[in-house]
Amino acid sequence: MDDFTMVGIRPAEQRPPVRRARRQRPWLALVVLGLLVAGCLAAPLIAPGDPGYLDLLNTSKAPCSQFPFGTDAMGRDLFRCIWHGGRVSLFIGFFATLLSTVIAVVYGSASGIAAPWVDSGMMRLTEILLSVPDLLVVLFLQAIWGKASPVSISVIIGVTGWYSISKVVRTQVRQLRASEYVVASKAMGGGFLHILRQHLAPNFLSSIMFMVVMNVRLAIACESTLSFLGMGLPLETVSWGSMLSLAERALMTNAWWVILIPGGFLVALLLCLTEVGNWLRQSASKVESNL
Amino acid sequence: MKRNPFAYYGKKLAVFFLSVLVLSAAVFFVAQLAPTDPLLAYYGERTEKMSVEEKAQARARLGLDAPVGVQYLRWLENAARGEFGISYQYKQSVTTVIGKRIGNTLILGGLGFVLTFVGSLLLGVLCAWKEDSLLDKLLCRLGTVMSAIPEFWLSLVLILIFCVRLRWLPSSGAYSVGKAKDLADRAVHLILPLVVVILGHLWYYAYLIRNRLLEEVRADYVLLCKSKGLSKRQILFGHCLRNTLPTYISLMAISVPHILGGTYIVETVFSYPGVGTLSYEAARMADYNMLMVLSMLTGVTVIFCNLLGQIINERIDPRIRAEEEREVARNG
Repeated sequence: MDDFTMVGIRPAEQRPPVRRARRQRPWLALVVLGLLVAGCLAAPLIAPGDPGYLDLLNTSKAPCSQFPFGTDAMGRDLFRCIWHGGRVSLFIGFFATLLSTVIAVVYGSASGIAAPWVDSGMMRLTEILLSVPDLLVVLFLQAIWGKASPVSISVIIGVTGWYSISKVVRTQVRQLRASEYVVASKAMGGGFLHILRQHLAPNFLSSIMFMVVMNVRLAIACESTLSFLGMGLPLETVSWGSMLSLAERALMTNAWWVILIPGGFLVALLLCLTEVGNWLRQSASKVESNL
Repeated sequence: MKRNPFAYYGKKLAVFFLSVLVLSAAVFFVAQLAPTDPLLAYYGERTEKMSVEEKAQARARLGLDAPVGVQYLRWLENAARGEFGISYQYKQSVTTVIGKRIGNTLILGGLGFVLTFVGSLLLGVLCAWKEDSLLDKLLCRLGTVMSAIPEFWLSLVLILIFCVRLRWLPSSGAYSVGKAKDLADRAVHLILPLVVVILGHLWYYAYLIRNRLLEEVRADYVLLCKSKGLSKRQILFGHCLRNTLPTYISLMAISVPHILGGTYIVETVFSYPGVGTLSYEAARMADYNMLMVLSMLTGVTVIFCNLLGQIINERIDPRIRAEEEREVARNG
């Protein structure tokens, strides 16, 4: 009998179980987001009429019973503009994100499946692209494209916004590509797109979801900044950003509503998207502090 | 076995020059696709009154008639001699125009960068120190809200409050008329743009520091430090923070271009006479020579800062160096 058996096995101290703090569903953000989207979709019902209509008798009117949100320096009814313009902002947000997500998924999967040297080259390229400030590239491309429309802006934002998602997709694909079902599918003659759709996408979709939501936010913010600078949508195309391009003039006439109301809607939308995105990320695992 | 430092820095330098070259070519060729006529930038309204022959002559004089490739090589040759041509819009050498403005941007961007760096470090440590406390939660909430506000709108609201309503601060420019040398006057003009630049970036980096620190305090060595009898402050500052710093510093190097990009927007909103407003004008007016130099200036900063970040990451952090050496030893 040696010392060990005498003392016996002392069970290793157990760490307290990992506390997974599931973040609560952000009800407030979801409800506000729903209301905003519904309001914009139902714009012709809520605020009938042409948002671009210039009521020259009522310019720069403060909010009153006739114009609940006031009018801008050109006599447009802001209440009407908000709901109609929101459609354009949302369209740009979703279309640009759709585009960037598709590019990211295809590029990321291709890189993940490719030979190591192709893969490292492709990833190096995204790193270079990622380091350039987006807004400058977008500004530059828009200056070259010339006349801006919601579609042109979405395309430009879309083609400059896929880098970080593609990196995540690539990492996931790299882990998945050796798994039996992918190999089996390949052996049975499944093509790249088939494997991507059937086997890879369902696996990495959940991990890029939050980035996709954040991309909607980025696209909407980018459009509004561009339009504000006068490089984005022209004044005639009402969006929340182009409404704010009148802000400089509003500052001179002290017309706070022209700045605060469209901006408030914009920030509310961006904030809701951030909340939803953060919730999707679900702040990984929460381990007790050793400190 | 150590890697040869000359080979290391030589390789980085080669990458730098190659990237700059590729960038210059890319910008040059893409800029040619713009539909705006550069003659418009040079002659303004008069362009419309010019006959076809006059336009052709003007093009030949400005060297715009040659094929794009030739134009690019010509530009490259001049650039090597430090000549970047004249701005079509200002009718002055591009370097003179930029030289007058770049100081303003450096002051705004530099101050903004330093204050963001220090501020986010302090905020991040504070939040990590008081993890899950009311203060931490409050600051995190505030950060989420702030990060959802576009910079240009924040600028507008601040102008509305402090310039239009309260009339405390000036809303545009870098100094009042005739007071270019007055430091106090410049400082007053700098307050609002600076606040926007800082608020636009502070939270992101503070949040990053907080999360890195929170990961760090869950490492096993913290238990060892605690059993050694070190105080919370000693562990956090002496060990945890030290471990996160290399990553943070390299990240901050990479963040320079982003803060620079933010400065450009802020400059435009506040009509601050810096490089940002200049590049915005150049893009609108198709002032090629100007656009070229400005894009290159931004691009070179970006590339340089990224390389710097990499070097800091690979050289300063002893853990990475040790790993590298082990790998070299293993591979022979």
